[in-house]
Amino acid sequence: CEVRESLNDPQSSAVANFEMDPETMETKSLTDYFNKMHRDVMMGMS
Amino acid sequence: MQNENRTVVHYRMEASCLDLALEGERLCKVGDYSAGVSFFETAIQVGTEDLQVLSAVYSQLGNAYFHLHDYSKALEFHHHDLTLTRTTGDRLGQAKASSNLGNTLKVLGRFDEAVVCCQRHLDIAREQGDKVGQARALYNFGNVYHAKGKSICWSGAEPGDFPEEVITALRKAAEYYEANLCMVNELGDRAAQGRTYGNLGNTYYLLGNFRDAVASHEQRLLIAKEFGDRSAERRAYCNLGNACIFLGEFERAAEHYRKALQLARQLKDLAVEAQACYSLGNTYTLLQDYERAIDYHLKHLIIAQDLNDRIGEGRACWSLGNAHTALGNHDQAMHFAEKHLEIAKETGDRSGELTARM
Repeated sequence: CEVRESLNDPQSSAVANFEMDPETMETKSLTDYFNKMHRDVMMGMS
Repeated sequence: MQNENRTVVHYRMEASCLDLALEGERLCKVGDYSAGVSFFETAIQVGTEDLQVLSAVYSQLGNAYFHLHDYSKALEFHHHDLTLTRTTGDRLGQAKASSNLGNTLKVLGRFDEAVVCCQRHLDIAREQGDKVGQARALYNFGNVYHAKGKSICWSGAEPGDFPEEVITALRKAAEYYEANLCMVNELGDRAAQGRTYGNLGNTYYLLGNFRDAVASHEQRLLIAKEFGDRSAERRAYCNLGNACIFLGEFERAAEHYRKALQLARQLKDLAVEAQACYSLGNTYTLLQDYERAIDYHLKHLIIAQDLNDRIGEGRACWSLGNAHTALGNHDQAMHFAEKHLEIAKETGDRSGELTARM
């Protein structure tokens, strides 16, 4: 039936396709790095 | 004095690169990936001798391109990050670069290479005693095998009726998701549990285990509600509706799709609103409630026209033609059948055109 046929057409608003949860990308935080650098400098000064 | 000057110049250069990169990070955090990319690329042009900063910039640039769906650029930068972290002997950095590279290769359909990256991520996480990393590597493995299975699904086949190669890949995906669930349950990581239940549910669905699919999506729904994550909630309702269709529980499917529609409207996402209307139209057709089916197919038609989605429009016309035929509204049925034929010709949909001519 049409419901099942529509599983194969990802380009259209007519898709009754299942939907995945997103990928989890790993992050390398510059803010954390900056804060750590700043803390180290402050500790070096005290 | 000369040394001091060099230090000042060096400091300024470092500050400039890091400042630009920090701004890039801020922009990406608020979802402005294009602007983020500009800042990161300028940061690279300015340059830095701090290899940890450079690694983070490569990594974030790769992620920004990933979010912008420019996967070849994402691949390029995650690859630079992996090479750099290998050179510096940064094991944690290598694990993260491998993970991101694996996710990118998966999207590009390069599954064998993606598996190698997932394995490297898993090996390093184990070596470092990093349970969170291990769990994430298992989730990525599941995603790679799921995508591999889905990519070789026969276009005409239905869930549960795929070739052996597809079933093998999907079973592997389920095994990795189940192994991941054991770890994230132990870690008490509810957000990770939610993601895995969602994808595991879709894997069971493709394997034809619709009862297990429903159980997984119900868990996904529960966790989405705990976090107030309405997008995930909408996805769970949509996936639950799909599984219920295959279980022959059409009333229950309609109930889930109605909730998905309500959430799509709250989220102001027209494309998913159209999908929910289309699903509801089809479900009411299965329930032989053609008046309601027409109502939802018309709603779908209007949104498809707004979105300039000719394929969606064609499908809506086809469905409307069928529903009107069932009600004996022959003039209306003919009108929509002609409209469907016109769109099928325009979009080069040969099977649609042949069906319309019948």
